[in-house]
Amino acid sequence: MKFWHKISLFSFLVFVVIFNAASILVIERSHNKILSQEINSALSQNMSIHSSIDAIVPILRIYDSLDYEKTVLTNVAKEFVEKNRDQQVYMDITNDKNQSIYSNVDFKMPIHREELSKLAMDEIHYIIRDIDQRTILFTSNITDIHHKSYVFTYMKDVTSLYADRLEQYRFFAKVDIAACFLYMLIMLFVSRGLTKPIDRLNRTAQVIAQGGFSERVPLKSKDEIGVLARNFNEMAAVVEDKIQDLERHNQEKQRFIDNFTHELKTPLTSIIGYANFLRTTKYNEERFLDGLDVIYTEGKRLESLSHKLMDLISLQEGRGQMEEQDLGSIIGEMKPALEMMAKEKQIDIVLDCDEGGRLLLDKDLIKVLIFNLVDNALKASALQQSITIRLFSQNDQYVLEVMDQGMGISEAHRDKIFEPFYMADKARTRDNQGAGLGLSICQRVARMHHAVIEVASEENEGTTIRVIFEPVYPKGGGVHE
Amino acid sequence: MQKKILIVEDDIHISKIIKMNLNIVNYMTTEVYDGLAALEAVKQEKFDLILLDVMIPLLDGFALMEKIQPYRIPVIFLTAKNSVYDKVNGLKLGADDYMVKPFEAIELLARIETVLRRYGKEEQVMMIQHVRVDLDKREVTLHGEPVELTPKEYDLLVVLLKNKNIALSREQFLDKVWGSDYYGETRTVDMHIKSVRKKLQLQDHIKTIYKIGYRLED
Repeated sequence: MKFWHKISLFSFLVFVVIFNAASILVIERSHNKILSQEINSALSQNMSIHSSIDAIVPILRIYDSLDYEKTVLTNVAKEFVEKNRDQQVYMDITNDKNQSIYSNVDFKMPIHREELSKLAMDEIHYIIRDIDQRTILFTSNITDIHHKSYVFTYMKDVTSLYADRLEQYRFFAKVDIAACFLYMLIMLFVSRGLTKPIDRLNRTAQVIAQGGFSERVPLKSKDEIGVLARNFNEMAAVVEDKIQDLERHNQEKQRFIDNFTHELKTPLTSIIGYANFLRTTKYNEERFLDGLDVIYTEGKRLESLSHKLMDLISLQEGRGQMEEQDLGSIIGEMKPALEMMAKEKQIDIVLDCDEGGRLLLDKDLIKVLIFNLVDNALKASALQQSITIRLFSQNDQYVLEVMDQGMGISEAHRDKIFEPFYMADKARTRDNQGAGLGLSICQRVARMHHAVIEVASEENEGTTIRVIFEPVYPKGGGVHE
Repeated sequence: MQKKILIVEDDIHISKIIKMNLNIVNYMTTEVYDGLAALEAVKQEKFDLILLDVMIPLLDGFALMEKIQPYRIPVIFLTAKNSVYDKVNGLKLGADDYMVKPFEAIELLARIETVLRRYGKEEQVMMIQHVRVDLDKREVTLHGEPVELTPKEYDLLVVLLKNKNIALSREQFLDKVWGSDYYGETRTVDMHIKSVRKKLQLQDHIKTIYKIGYRLED
């Protein structure tokens, strides 16, 4: 059963019970009130008869004749009945021998009348009886005349009262059905309207569950459901972000694996291909030397790839001995090696590290970083250009800068150069025996030192790479870990 | 008539080794190193087959496939990627076969031959010295005279002819002639080689290669 069905059904049942109970209560109360009025008036009528009889009792004593008594009583009764003719009242007088003195009753009097048994002198008892199809109110009292007791019974037909009540009920039943129907209808619409936002929420949840992570609930109301929808949307946004993150991460990984297999298999294909070609075909000196040359260079490429990969893997494991050292002097130490590398292209290495800078460093890793940055700069440079390595402080941070005058990096490549195996220019990178891992390694090293790498580049004018180190001692602190 | 094959491969070394292997078995080759150059070449010349690397610059292999589809040239993909997705994608785009690097030269030659046969472009007659082999009729003649060969001898001769100038090992012969489920001795190969040499007077042309096997030379 749906929630809005439950709401409407429940409230409908409650309504039916309360409405019916209240209505029955009202009808019964008004009926009882009228009835008791009727009883009171009957009782007072009886009283007035009683008192008028009492008034003539002394006269009757004088005559002391049974017939006379009978005539007088009959006359009194007749007069009374005559007076109330239009009100359907009846009078019955019997003596103590149960002989009827007067009766204008048009129905059969009950033989057994229990109200008389306990009736004392000067008391009036009443009882309501159903006789045939009528309801009669009996009021009785006993009057003593000459030591003979007469029973005066005054009766009133109250059938119309009960008929009225029935009529009330009939009318109420019609009203009841109409009201309930109307109420049910309204309740269905109202509860449907109230639960509609929940349905919408539900649909959105289903869409999201089936992978539509960008789906949102279009609810703007300020009630609880509106708040729920807003929270739901926030949750969906977080989930979507997380999933996109995961996907991006996954794609990066997949790309790494793809590129890695490509980088591994390409030299292998060459090596195996040439070796097999040389061993299965007729000897030819030119082809032989050609082939051996390829096997040698491709072998070297594999070797350098494996070195770089080892670097990358050991970096991933996060090994490293952090000690406080002077970065300037490390660069100074490397100068001869860097100049050796630069010799081939007759490139000047300019050092500007006078400022020095004591930082928490892993010396070997920092050397790898600088070596890779300079190596990249060399590869990008033309003959006889220069490369500047600068170390300076700026807003509490040390900045290591490697600047070349080479070909630069085009904008399309700039955000991808840190990706493993990414090569802006494949052919050139291969000629230099690169695998596209250098900057990934730099990135890893920088991250281990809590440093950030920034790239600024103009095509054909040069590239500047800045490694920005966090200050060794944060302000206020001074604890050496 | 010599078949023309376009080699699209951005690694110069690999391109060259493929070219050398194809040339030695008498295919003509053209080498290009990126997708756009490949597209140009297809527009300029008529090729019997294209060997296509998937990861090439400017226009990748799959994109190139779509562009050259109207020319209806058989294509064999060469790639280091061996994921199922790439295979399905490549074959769906109409590639005829798929080779994962690194591959062996004779394997590549066999695939090329299979694809060419499927397109009805295979040579039906092969010659070596005075021997003529008609593949349709399975008929071998020496100086115009028919020569009786056993079925295995005939198959062995065809394998030798198709891999002319390339040495094949005894295991490779067993595999190609007797089938991969044959567990015979390599001496079987030696005996059949001896018999073919004698029947077709090819003693000087079917060379025994030290440590490898046999090679048919012109």
